[in-house]
Amino acid sequence: MLRAEKISKSFGGNHVLRNVSVWLKPGTITTLIGPSGTGKTTLLRALAMTDLPDVGEIIVDDQKYIFPLMPEQKLLPSPWPRVTAVFQQLFLWPHLSLRENILLPARNFPRANMDAELNELIDVLEMKAFIDRFPNEASLGQRQRVALARALMLQPRYVLMDEVTSALDIEQVANILDFLPRLRERGIGILLITHALNFARRAADTVLFMDHGQVVERGTVELLDNPQTPRLQQFLSLVKAAS
Amino acid sequence: MFAEAFEIIWQYREGFLTGLWVTLELSAIIWIVGITGGTALGWAAARHPQNWGKFVRLVAFILGGLPILVLLFWLHYPAQAIFQVVIDPFITAAFTFTLVNIFAVASLVREAIADFPGEYITAARVCGLSARQTLFKIQLPIILRQILPGLLMSQVVMLHTTLFASLISVEEIFRVAQRINASIYKPVEIYTALGMFFLAISLPVNGLAIYLKHKYTRNTSER
Repeated sequence: MLRAEKISKSFGGNHVLRNVSVWLKPGTITTLIGPSGTGKTTLLRALAMTDLPDVGEIIVDDQKYIFPLMPEQKLLPSPWPRVTAVFQQLFLWPHLSLRENILLPARNFPRANMDAELNELIDVLEMKAFIDRFPNEASLGQRQRVALARALMLQPRYVLMDEVTSALDIEQVANILDFLPRLRERGIGILLITHALNFARRAADTVLFMDHGQVVERGTVELLDNPQTPRLQQFLSLVKAAS
Repeated sequence: MFAEAFEIIWQYREGFLTGLWVTLELSAIIWIVGITGGTALGWAAARHPQNWGKFVRLVAFILGGLPILVLLFWLHYPAQAIFQVVIDPFITAAFTFTLVNIFAVASLVREAIADFPGEYITAARVCGLSARQTLFKIQLPIILRQILPGLLMSQVVMLHTTLFASLISVEEIFRVAQRINASIYKPVEIYTALGMFFLAISLPVNGLAIYLKHKYTRNTSER
């Protein structure tokens, strides 16, 4: 299990995460929803351990990281790519073709069926037409799919995704919705930040609602129809009104 | 004109070759020490912006505002008089131009490293790339693509700067050409010949810079 225990994070006196505890089981899909600026991305980056929490604990299966990190803790094995992330800005390497973006890190984990795996991802994510282009020659939707493929080719145990379907069309989102259960079957734990409530409703086992740096509600997708707190009720009604 | 220039080159080939050799020797020192030293200094400046970074920026700023000829003359005449030493003009010229080149290269490297988007490194880390892989497969290729054309162009400029060495009596190709002209007075042919020498060295380097610029510095802004 990937777990955060009472983590907090501040940026120059601005408390972005306040005593947050969340967990992500392998083979489950959790969506993280909430208004903009409530700390969702900071939580994802803390769980990915790219922006370390100020205090608290991150537990990756049997490995515990206690923050602030003590000198001896810095020698602990890296959590990557057992835990990996697809960031909202994607960060594909601009000097490599999209195919090389996927294969460069994947080659660190060689296996016999790597080509077949890549071809499967190319099919599922409909990347055949542009896989040999460079990132600047691809649209945002195409790059989102490549970033997702890059993460999945690492055979991670946990994938953290920040708004990775925001630029995809309905058909591509539907493809990903069909694909997610297969990742769940493979035992991959997925945390998805999304603003698309329908996507969250269809994809998730668990929904987390964040507000002001805290997880305010946690539950199954039923939560989206029966919110328990006035804050989530208000958020959902605003989203409904906007859509 | 060109036929006469070739005739003069052939007639004074020994003098031209000796001068060319001195120019190439001087350039080789400036290029090799300047690029290696400048890269190391630029790297240190980017890694330690508070001390090495400030030092490199300050010296590059001062050198940028100082004509190279003034610096060369100052190091050749007043400095040697103050310290009561007599140093071979070739060494003085090599030292001066190498110093300028080191700080020019250091500035180029420092800026490229300092401006490198750290998120590419973060992406490499979460993808499980080692620090070594990240350096050699991500950072260096991107940085090299960015600085290589400018670096090559600046080295051509340094080659041209070696002409100033003639003014402190270094027997490089320009001084040889001046001396031949003093004896036969055929400035058009002699300086055409000199231009041909420089073109022969500069054009391949310039061509390589343009080729690399087209090959590697694609517009990487995303749509």
